[in-house]
Amino acid sequence: MTTYIIRRLVYTIPIVFGVLLLTFVLFTLVGGDISIEIAGKNATPETIEEIREEYGLNKPLFLSWDSQFINHFESALTFSFGRSRDRELVIDKIKRGVGPSLALTVPMFFGVLVISVSLSLFVAFVRGSVWDVLAVVICVAGMSIPYLSFILFGQYFFAYKWGLFPVFFSPGLTTAQYVALPVLIGIAAGIGGNLRFYRTVMLDEMRSDYVRTAFAKGLSPRRVLFKHVLKNAMIPIITRVVLAIPFLFLGSLLLERFFGIPGLGYLMVEAIGSRDYFVINAMTYISAILFVIFNLITDICYSFADPRVSLG
Amino acid sequence: MNYGKKFLAIVVTGAIVVLAGCGSRKPGAEPNEMVIRLPASGKLTGFDPGMLRDFDSIEVCSHICETLYQYHFLKRPYEIIPLLAEEMPQISEDMQTYTIKIKRGVYFQNDKCFEGGKGRELKAQDFIYSIKRIADIKNLSQNWSLFDDKIVGLDEFREYTKGCKSREDVDYSRDVEGLQASDDYTLVVDLKRPWPQFVSTALADTSTAPMAKEAVEFYGKDIISHPVGTGPFKLKVWQRGSYVSVVRNPNFRIELYPSEGEPGDAEAGYLDDAGKRLPLVDGIVWTIIQESQPAWLLFLQGKFDAMALQKDNFDEVILGNGELTDKMKQLEIHLSPFQEPSTFWVGFNMQDPVLGKNKPLRRAISYALDRQKFIDLFYGGLGHVSHGFVAPQLDSYDPTIKEKGFAVYDPNKARELIKEAEKIHGGELPELKIAMGGTSTFYRQYGQFLGRQLKAVGLVVEVQYMDWPTYIEKVNTRSAQIFTAGVIASMPDAEDFLSMFYSKNWSPGSNRFNYLNPEYDKLYEKVAVMPDNPKRKGLYRKMELMVLEDCPAAFSCHRVIYRLQHDWYKNYKQHAFQHGMGKYRRIDLKKRAAYSELLKKVK
Repeated sequence: MTTYIIRRLVYTIPIVFGVLLLTFVLFTLVGGDISIEIAGKNATPETIEEIREEYGLNKPLFLSWDSQFINHFESALTFSFGRSRDRELVIDKIKRGVGPSLALTVPMFFGVLVISVSLSLFVAFVRGSVWDVLAVVICVAGMSIPYLSFILFGQYFFAYKWGLFPVFFSPGLTTAQYVALPVLIGIAAGIGGNLRFYRTVMLDEMRSDYVRTAFAKGLSPRRVLFKHVLKNAMIPIITRVVLAIPFLFLGSLLLERFFGIPGLGYLMVEAIGSRDYFVINAMTYISAILFVIFNLITDICYSFADPRVSLG
Repeated sequence: MNYGKKFLAIVVTGAIVVLAGCGSRKPGAEPNEMVIRLPASGKLTGFDPGMLRDFDSIEVCSHICETLYQYHFLKRPYEIIPLLAEEMPQISEDMQTYTIKIKRGVYFQNDKCFEGGKGRELKAQDFIYSIKRIADIKNLSQNWSLFDDKIVGLDEFREYTKGCKSREDVDYSRDVEGLQASDDYTLVVDLKRPWPQFVSTALADTSTAPMAKEAVEFYGKDIISHPVGTGPFKLKVWQRGSYVSVVRNPNFRIELYPSEGEPGDAEAGYLDDAGKRLPLVDGIVWTIIQESQPAWLLFLQGKFDAMALQKDNFDEVILGNGELTDKMKQLEIHLSPFQEPSTFWVGFNMQDPVLGKNKPLRRAISYALDRQKFIDLFYGGLGHVSHGFVAPQLDSYDPTIKEKGFAVYDPNKARELIKEAEKIHGGELPELKIAMGGTSTFYRQYGQFLGRQLKAVGLVVEVQYMDWPTYIEKVNTRSAQIFTAGVIASMPDAEDFLSMFYSKNWSPGSNRFNYLNPEYDKLYEKVAVMPDNPKRKGLYRKMELMVLEDCPAAFSCHRVIYRLQHDWYKNYKQHAFQHGMGKYRRIDLKKRAAYSELLKKVK
């Protein structure tokens, strides 16, 4: 196991290098010179040149120890990322956004997971019944309704019309108060696709011989479902769950924007809108790193969930 | 613990989290304080006055930092009055030297940057420092164009800063001949040539508001989030991306609410607070909110005191006859239409090989645009066709401009002109490209509208949607062929508009059309140094006609803004140059407290 982890960590180095190279090429070469944009209206050429100097945009791209790429590489490895276009440290922005984003995405993630897995076990157990058909209809409806509709509907009725939740973030609210409605909306919008997926996984397991054997031996449905079916369905569940975790750090673009949650999703939308490459670059890099790490964790989890999986 | 219990525990925990969020009006709800609550739609970029150019940041900053002069809150036509200055400037005969007396007893806000945390008195040197900061190239100020080639010795100071290695190396004690403090309370500015708009353009502009040197040195690069000015409010919290709040500055000098305005102000209640000490409220909170639905719902809930009416909410607010709907009347919401001094257009790049040398083509596009339909579709009929580029609210507006016929919708005439344009071009016209500075629904609908109008007269058009920075870059680098834009006057003089066609202001300057007319340039240079008089007004009108004749743009409309306010929001008189007006506003707390009951009934 240790050898495997070390080997995978070593593999991470070229991946991270690739990500850095790709982001650099995308943002520096394809994105073009941002100094004109930073300079704003009516800027003189001297101001533009000064901005190029301040942001190091007048340095060679690659072929120098002080090149833009080496600086990009160094700032990524040290997680310093420099200052964003509004002159705040990028890392400070990210640190500030992580909390609100996780306050939103973590309960949403567990809510969707618990409800979807539980319901999928139930509908798999009563497959073919009215409940199963109803669940499928809800799944299809949930997947078909645009995410934005959930938000607009939820915000209008639950927050404005019935006054159960705040419409939007405001300074006097606690975190629980301003994330509660977005969490509920996120769960409602996320259940459709997840339930459909887990239902398929559970149905596959329910048709297995060992389930029939377990029932034949007289085990209770609860024991069969929770002890055997759920455990054997863990591989696809782990794949879906663990690989979703890095995205929790990125927040939710729409929910954060509509509910004024100052998280990383909002930060990313703002950065894209104002072409703040310093922030976009940092977020892309962190996402890539998280994805690589959680990919490794997924593989390790496989061996715990299923002893037949070897990490040799 | 078995699986069932674990499951139950998770469900119960989740339910507790959700229930904790219910009942927004109980714990954490905003108390009914004398605090103004407003939406802000843009991204705030900080509050260092010299560095700002975006509307929302300037709006917040103007409550913290003050300028030498301001516009009278109530009087119309707009009148410049002293703010930090003791009186209006004494201007030399050659109109090049301004001597400005500074008010005594004005103190900076208390801040830890000062010794003992107590703000020191404002001096004339603070204004010099502020202007030098704009000139210092290391500060990358976007406001340099304001002073470029205007003040004696300032360009040389800028040249000097270019040679400095870093911001810290710049010596601000270096003398600038045209910026002198003859004593602590007298500022003397020497201009290179007369600049009649100096007071309204520069000295009443937030960018020249003094910021304490101690604060700049103490906070360094973080000065954008630690403004220390002399204004009626001081920054309390700036939670980036969420909200910004300012609170009453206890150090603020005695300044009173105006006792006179224009006729009708007393009847409208704008003089109810005459003679009271400013500011009338304890603070202001701006919530950053970019989506229209939550902003609208918060306004209806009474959590915003005022907001601009959005296109999506027209039907809920206004009936076909322009009256408020019953629901709005029941909620005691007021609607104030305000003709802002703005002009919007479809611009042409005069350096474009297809458009630049083909006046019939540009005129054809102008004739092809149904401006009234545009206003009906996009502003709910709330706007005016612009027959020229000078906004009707300005003194030099030509009331006969409509008769000149530069904004007529005539598709047949457009088709005729296209034939002429093809002859000039030497064959079939290529596809024209329209750059739209946004990708939102509004821009897409606007782009489709323009595309359809031009196609209807036989032009082949591609509408290109792009984000704002890409658009700006395209226009600044003179690579946009046709583009849509607009401008809102920053002062009551039309010079703002005229400068957009002066050839020395080509992109990335304000002349986005890259228009060149030597005769126009000569006249512009002449009027730029002329004091306000009927002769200058005549020249302004002549210059406008020259531009309209050459058609570097098809001017489309002058916008009317509809502002909504709750009944409790007082002294909300519309102002075209409205920065820093929060000190005059007031909240009727009783009415605000009673609103939730009223809303329940109407809901």
